Amino acid sequence: MKTTLAIIGAALLLLGAPRSRADEISGDAQSAARQAAVTTCAICHGPQGRSIAPKFPSLAGQHSNYLAAQLKAFKAQTRGDPDALGYMWGMAAPLDDEMIEALAAYYSAQTPGHGRAGDAAEIARGADIYANGVAAEGIPPCIACHGPGAVGTDDFPRLAGQHAQYLLKQLRSFQSNLRNVAVMHGVAKELQAKEMSAVAAYLESLGGA
Amino acid sequence: MIASRVIQTTSTIGTLLMALLMAPAAQAVPSFARQTGMACEACHTVFPELTHFGRMFKANAYTIDNLKPVRGITATKQEMLALSGLPPISLMVQVSETNLSKAVPDGVGTGNVSQSDTAAFPQQVSLFYAGKIAPQVGAFIQLTYSNASGTVGIDNTDLRYASNLLLPDDRSLIWGITANNNPTVQDLWNSTPAFGFPFDSSNAAVSPLAGTEIDGALAQDVAGISVYAMWNETLYGELGTYRSAKQGAANGLTGAAGPLDGTTSNVITGGAPYYRLAYEQQWSRNTLSVGLYGATFKLLPGGTAAAPASLTGPANEFRDVAEDFQFQMVGEKNLLTIAGTHIKENMTLGASFVPAGGGAAQNLKDDLTTTRLWGTWYYQRKYGATVEMFSTTGSADTGLYPAGPAPGVITSLNGLPDTKGWVAELNFMPWLNTRLSLQATQYSKFNGGSSNYDGFGRNASDNNTLYLLAWFNY
Repeated sequence: MKTTLAIIGAALLLLGAPRSRADEISGDAQSAARQAAVTTCAICHGPQGRSIAPKFPSLAGQHSNYLAAQLKAFKAQTRGDPDALGYMWGMAAPLDDEMIEALAAYYSAQTPGHGRAGDAAEIARGADIYANGVAAEGIPPCIACHGPGAVGTDDFPRLAGQHAQYLLKQLRSFQSNLRNVAVMHGVAKELQAKEMSAVAAYLESLGGA
Repeated sequence: MIASRVIQTTSTIGTLLMALLMAPAAQAVPSFARQTGMACEACHTVFPELTHFGRMFKANAYTIDNLKPVRGITATKQEMLALSGLPPISLMVQVSETNLSKAVPDGVGTGNVSQSDTAAFPQQVSLFYAGKIAPQVGAFIQLTYSNASGTVGIDNTDLRYASNLLLPDDRSLIWGITANNNPTVQDLWNSTPAFGFPFDSSNAAVSPLAGTEIDGALAQDVAGISVYAMWNETLYGELGTYRSAKQGAANGLTGAAGPLDGTTSNVITGGAPYYRLAYEQQWSRNTLSVGLYGATFKLLPGGTAAAPASLTGPANEFRDVAEDFQFQMVGEKNLLTIAGTHIKENMTLGASFVPAGGGAAQNLKDDLTTTRLWGTWYYQRKYGATVEMFSTTGSADTGLYPAGPAPGVITSLNGLPDTKGWVAELNFMPWLNTRLSLQATQYSKFNGGSSNYDGFGRNASDNNTLYLLAWFNY
């Protein structure tokens, strides 16, 4: 009986679960997104979303929910960090919702790049902050949202393998509220510059899937 | 007097002087920013130098467009019209002050000297149409008023079609066609002549006699068409051809704009082949490109309205082969560019050289080599400095680089074309579309000599120039 109920419960959960967005994206939109990704987005975000220049975030393997939310924020001009203004407000302006979902799906399906080694001591310090936070400064562990290995979840971005330069700039933007995200402002507002660098170096060093 | 004789008789000097009179300035165009919705820094380190994104924007025919266009489509969704919601119009204004180290002799031959300072208000005003004009088609068109001519004329122009193809493994191939009026104006890197350093210089300074043809001598005086391809944003190849396209010339009989006749000078016979090969590698925040470019121009000397000479017979051949490189480091605060080019020109002056003597050239074969190497550093895209070394050397030819009977400034006592020196420039950018710059040009050699290069006591250093420029783009 218990087993049956469990199965029924699981089935109901599955039925109620949202379908993967990739299933809802038309073939035309998928083709258009791939074309745009390779011929335009790749100029900054690199081949298949593995960016070369540290100014531009790698998108390969990023969660589609997060990517779509960011593209919508660029389009609505509600994400206000300097490179969002300088680059992405324009780039996202002509995208409709279907194209946004298709681009997000394209990048989430790509294989993330390898991590980049850095200073071992700094990485170790970053790993500690990531896993445990800094209790004395009231900074919670990053792992609580971004998960083990910093691979993220549906709603929290993958950070593993991301360029340290990009991550640092984002942390500063959260701190100053140029990028206005309440949760991250709360986390970053007390972070010291050295702590930011350490966390960024640790995250950049993580690679693979 | 000397200058006019030179223009009539030699291709190199005539075209060079014409180019100098029309000295094209390099540009950055706010209409691109309006069209893409992106800040200047996306395409430029600091204008007009292009970043990797800027190069790709140009290769894609200036068509990346984030404005809602006025559209027309067919029943099969074929796009027939994609007019920009905003016309991609920009203005550029330059005002300047030039100081020559030593005043030049008075041009009217009174034995006095001219002023050594020149205020230019404006030095140049340009109107641009720069942006998308149709699906996959874009234009960079510049109309310029120059204080030297007192008129408005066509300036650098590049019309493009581009197609961006998706290759297996998500690689890309851009291919396109450019029609333009200045060899290398279509190029993607700032290490080639049209958009190389110095991006602007005084039009009230003393310019040396010699320059290679591909180094701006034919700017705005030719029409070229070429086909290019860029594989995976790294490997670039281009092949094209140029013909003469004279501005302000008219046929003596018909009064129409053509065909060109003996009243025009330095006319390309046939087509002048142009080629370009470049490879760009990106790593971290850096890019490095190395390349090769060149062209062979066969020019008929022709004549002027006052002294016509038939556009037939032997031509002077200028075979230009050049190498270039560019390194860019684009950091968050610091930006560094190191670039250079080396141009070798071999001349076979079948028209200007006369074996019996008396021709416009002393030798059948001459050569000219120009090298420029520069480094630019910017801090926060606000404060910048550039240092450039330049050198032009070549074979002596008292026909091409003649001495004058009177103080002429642009003459050579020993028949050598050698000119060497340095440019140092300081820049302040209060805003990304406004540049204030102070440029010092120092000559260690000018038209073949360091001292008394013209035979009338003028030294190379007398032509040293201090140039103050305010440059606005909006």
